[in-house]
Amino acid sequence: MSAALESDSDVSALAEEDVLRARFYGLMARLLASAPDGDALEVLRSLQGDDTEMGVALGALASAASAHDPESAEDEYNALFIGVTRGDLVPYGSFYLTGFLNEKPLAALRATMMKLEIERGDATSNPEDHIASVCEMMAGLINASFGPAEAGTPESLRLQKTFFAQHIAPWAGRFFADLEGAEKASLYRPLGTVGRLFVAIEEEAFRMVE
Amino acid sequence: MSELDKKEGLDRRSFLRGVGLSAGAAGAGAAVMSGSKSAEAAVDGAGKKAAGYQETELVRQAYELSRF
Repeated sequence: MSAALESDSDVSALAEEDVLRARFYGLMARLLASAPDGDALEVLRSLQGDDTEMGVALGALASAASAHDPESAEDEYNALFIGVTRGDLVPYGSFYLTGFLNEKPLAALRATMMKLEIERGDATSNPEDHIASVCEMMAGLINASFGPAEAGTPESLRLQKTFFAQHIAPWAGRFFADLEGAEKASLYRPLGTVGRLFVAIEEEAFRMVE
Repeated sequence: MSELDKKEGLDRRSFLRGVGLSAGAAGAGAAVMSGSKSAEAAVDGAGKKAAGYQETELVRQAYELSRF
């Protein structure tokens, strides 16, 4: 909790819309890296919807969170993403773009990570082109946690636009749509909707940036 | 900031303000985002506990170089 608040006060240059964008990426990163624990579910239950398409999806996510506890959330997460050898969904850029893991999209992401000096958090062997990972990188770019640009500048926005175009736009919308329609999804179904809508919003917003 | 940047910025801002992001993420969203600042930490979980040791590029290179 303090880490998130810390980064908010560090980036006083950020407009409210960008703070919200970073939080959305953070929300998706958190829920797609692992199932929500009790605290995270509590936060999801408190999300307020409004009558925009996104607001309705957020309200549905809040309702779904009310119908779940950490155990059922974990069961669902495992069924969707882990399985025995693999889950129903394989949320990696390489898989969505080539049908296989550890392909060119991963190599391209690693090249970007080197350029932006983004390091791996630990010694895990999971490929970095996982949806949670690229979402967290986008949040980091918005907050200027790494990269050469200052937070809230046009330069930062161009960096974000490039990263989004290369590592998220080609596949993330399809992944979220798949999540939305996954048979075993219940808590994660509205997250799929939220993610799909958010990717579309980001695409539209970036079209307004040169 | 150039004039063009400013105008584009305003269009983009007003678009983002109208699509409903504030419906969910303001305030409550911050707590969910707690966790590490490093970009890879989100992936570390995937149902497993993250290892305490952090492998940076430098450490990895040191290991490679120390192999005989």
